[in-house]
Amino acid sequence: MTTQTKQVEVPQGWEAFAWKWMRYSGVLIFILAWIHVLIQDILVGVYQIDINYVAGRWNGGFWRVYDFLLLFFAFSHGMNGTRQVLTDYIHSAGARRALNWILLILWAIVVVIGTIAIFAFTPPAA
Amino acid sequence: MSFKTASEGYVRYQGLGNWAFVLHRLTGLGVILFLIIHVLDTAAVYFSPALYADAVSLYRSPVFGLGEILLVLSVIYHGLNGLRIIYFDMVNPNMWTIEVNRKSVIWTWVITLVLWLPAAVVMGSHILEHLGG
Repeated sequence: MTTQTKQVEVPQGWEAFAWKWMRYSGVLIFILAWIHVLIQDILVGVYQIDINYVAGRWNGGFWRVYDFLLLFFAFSHGMNGTRQVLTDYIHSAGARRALNWILLILWAIVVVIGTIAIFAFTPPAA
Repeated sequence: MSFKTASEGYVRYQGLGNWAFVLHRLTGLGVILFLIIHVLDTAAVYFSPALYADAVSLYRSPVFGLGEILLVLSVIYHGLNGLRIIYFDMVNPNMWTIEVNRKSVIWTWVITLVLWLPAAVVMGSHILEHLGG
């Protein structure tokens, strides 16, 4: 079967931005999350992870910035994905608006808590 | 804004393409659910170190260990299938045909399993090493 592509016009707006956001952030998360999972879950493993391990890892700035980027992009990607899934099952405009606000607030709370921890953490006195 | 889309032969709500879509959503929801918990428990290193120690000891239980192996499967599949979607959408929309979609879904699962199986063996052996200890 041959297929041709056609240009379709979609309205500029938040939904078009969100559609693109999922794809651009997806490429970035693919790199950040896979390296994170490879190191922490497979090479190091949960049995070697404790607060001293975190202290060593967050000793310098590199992994703190890395973890912040992963937090920010993965969490916005995941919250928007959750929104897309739930929007398929919620049909009233009011309920969708409420859903958007709930997810936005949840997103902001978790990102703020995570960001504070990443940058404010100081290793416990040995 | 305008972008290209396939004008015919678009994937339907059936077959492998639809399973890939459903599994993309399920794995995504699973990962974000864990991610919320994971950000909060890791934030405990700053807010409450004792709570962090409790959380880590919970993650070391065999049940969570098996969950972690499934989590890694979800991350691998969601990432690979996501790249597939991104490539089709952004680079070559002509690939959104039933046949190309079907084949690419099969390849996505082949690569997913090839990457996941060694990871599962490593993680599974870690669980076995720490059983009862």
